[in-house]
Amino acid sequence: MSKARKRKRGRDATPGVKIYVFLLFVAGNESNSTQARGNLARLCEEHIKERHKIETVDVLKDAATAHKNNVLVTPTLILLKPLPKVTVLGNLSDTRQVLAALRLNGDQR
Amino acid sequence: MSDQKPLYGELESKMKEAEALIKVLRTHQVDAIVGERHIMLVRLKQAEENLKSSRNQLRALAANLQSVRENERAMIARELHDEFGQTLTSLQLGLSWISRMLTPRQQPLREKITSLSTLTSTMIRSVRKIARELRPGVLDELGLVKTLKSEAREFEGHTGIQCRFRTNTARAKFERLAAVAIFRIVQEALTNVARHAHASGAKIALMKRKNWLILTVNDNGKKSTKKLTYSHDSLGIVGMRERALALGGTLTINGSRNKGTTLRVRIPLPRVITGRAS
Repeated sequence: MSKARKRKRGRDATPGVKIYVFLLFVAGNESNSTQARGNLARLCEEHIKERHKIETVDVLKDAATAHKNNVLVTPTLILLKPLPKVTVLGNLSDTRQVLAALRLNGDQR
Repeated sequence: MSDQKPLYGELESKMKEAEALIKVLRTHQVDAIVGERHIMLVRLKQAEENLKSSRNQLRALAANLQSVRENERAMIARELHDEFGQTLTSLQLGLSWISRMLTPRQQPLREKITSLSTLTSTMIRSVRKIARELRPGVLDELGLVKTLKSEAREFEGHTGIQCRFRTNTARAKFERLAAVAIFRIVQEALTNVARHAHASGAKIALMKRKNWLILTVNDNGKKSTKKLTYSHDSLGIVGMRERALALGGTLTINGSRNKGTTLRVRIPLPRVITGRAS
């Protein structure tokens, strides 16, 4: 790893703080996909403010990434980090269950 | 055993994934199914709403058709009774007048006229019967309960199947369309008893229970099969069910080997009873 890259990583990551990295698969602006986008943004804002990174993949434009990640239906949310990886299906409207699945219940740091 | 642990873990996670997949499909939270070659957009909610809307439209159409049919039946019954009935009565009076005018020497003619008079009487009875079947006058004049009583008596007379009727709504006043619907359901149910049940007895009950009106038609014959009950070809049953649904009610048919078949219609009372008869 180059010195410059090491410095960059050092600036971004605060030691001891978990960064949540999500990959959300949606199908254009279909109703459940729109709901999933909104629900995920709200959950992140409420529970892991400024400690999250969401990458959204529209399967209608990028099917290859969906195949690579074994995504069968949309909306699908994959929590990439922190490990272990978690997959949640649906429009994320059941907040309690989604928080439990993402191991976010009680995590307000 | 230790080699099997990861396999179990893998299976468990696959099971969880499958359960989640079933759940989202059931709760209609799916927008697209991602296949190897195609991405199929699924609009389950929209499809379900469309289906619901067309079902409601069909139901409204069926209710409207029933009402049109009842009005036409009433009109034909009235025409039959008034036009044919009157003409045939006049014909019979004429024949009996001619018969009185005949001399004892015209015996063969008298016999012919008597035979024509008998034929006319039979025709008058037939016309009355057809008119009554098309639209039972007692339903309008005497009300639902007395009509059902008379229907049970007539059924027993025609078929030889003992038929009992009981009710706790004898003094209730039924809404006209509801009365017609209930009467037609009973008629159809009794026809089914006569045709299919091979029964020796039938019971009709029209009971008020809390906020519901419960109609049951029970026989002691063969049990009705599920296939027959839910088949789209059983037009009689479909018709009965549509009539019950039009009144905001439900219709169920249960069969048991020893107790025959029971048809049960449950209708919310406010849709049926408008008050007490004077």
